[in-house]
Amino acid sequence: MKRNELAQRVKDRLHRDDLVVCGLGATEAAFRHVVAPCPTYYASDPMGVWSSVALGLALAQPARRVTLLAGDGDLLMSLQSLATIAAAGASNYRIVVFQNGAYSSTGGQRLTGADRLSFATIARGAGFAWAEESRNAGEIDARLDALYVRPGPALLAVHLEDEPCPAAPPGPWSQVEERTLFMQAVQALGDPRRAQGTR
Amino acid sequence: MNESSASTGAASPPALIVGALKRAGIALVASLPDQWLAPLIERCAADPEIRHVGVAREDEGVGICAGAYLGGTRAALICQNSAVLLSVNALGGMAFHHQIPMLIVAAHRGCHDDNQYYQMYKGRVTEPVLAAMGLPHHVIDGPEHLGLIEQGARQSLLSRLPLVLLLRRRALVG
Repeated sequence: MKRNELAQRVKDRLHRDDLVVCGLGATEAAFRHVVAPCPTYYASDPMGVWSSVALGLALAQPARRVTLLAGDGDLLMSLQSLATIAAAGASNYRIVVFQNGAYSSTGGQRLTGADRLSFATIARGAGFAWAEESRNAGEIDARLDALYVRPGPALLAVHLEDEPCPAAPPGPWSQVEERTLFMQAVQALGDPRRAQGTR
Repeated sequence: MNESSASTGAASPPALIVGALKRAGIALVASLPDQWLAPLIERCAADPEIRHVGVAREDEGVGICAGAYLGGTRAALICQNSAVLLSVNALGGMAFHHQIPMLIVAAHRGCHDDNQYYQMYKGRVTEPVLAAMGLPHHVIDGPEHLGLIEQGARQSLLSRLPLVLLLRRRALVG
């Protein structure tokens, strides 16, 4: 599966009052390509902190679903955060790993251990109640449905084709400006307690 | 309110600190233990008005505080000063760059009031590293200066930057 196809399938399962934290590089390129349907916070350097940022957001917004779209190289930098996420028990927090086994923005170098790496195994070992991976395009829809049916924290790692993705030029908004826009968008969603039970 | 120390009748530093954090509107605390911090972290974890999250590495705490702020919750990280050294990338590359406020309450290990060889580098290195990052900080010598908790939280919020409070032993454990 190509990363843009996965981004589209995730998008198809998101609601306008969901929140997304999106990893940088190829993951960001894919989610920007399909156009986010809900307030989305885009990562920047440094890699390795965004699973924690998404946890903080999930704890601050317990009535909304928070999804982290994680690049595999990014999440590999902070595997211990999976233990923290499991211990915190954020039931509104879900992770989709875009696993292509490569650092796409820097030229496609392979991740250390890429050929054997199983984020689902690691997440289960860290205490996630549900963590699966998918290599077969035919089963990804069912696994994505399962990800959102179950309470979190839950993780689905999807193995992707290793497509090139050169680093993009800077967009029109700096991270500070994007942060302001994101926080305004979250505020505009209204009282999160009213969002509960609407789906 | 049981905020008095049984032995002296005076409010203990952990009680003063937790009270100040709550008055500053901080509703989420991430922490990693330190010997000097143990009573403070226990008190945070037991407080029904504070969502406490134990972390495995301190830069997770920087990320959690940042995410909480994005979601409208003020947050603090309680940790050793070595956390500042570990978290240079998270603080300088993420929180500073995205202009995200958070309060970092750190045990200032490795100074004149410490007693281990391996702590000393922390006292020597932390403040110059903070200066190099361009992050504001204050050293709190004792409980009489704990008003800096609320003031520091406000300074952090108004400057949209992480603010680091370095607490000496006497300010944490009396």
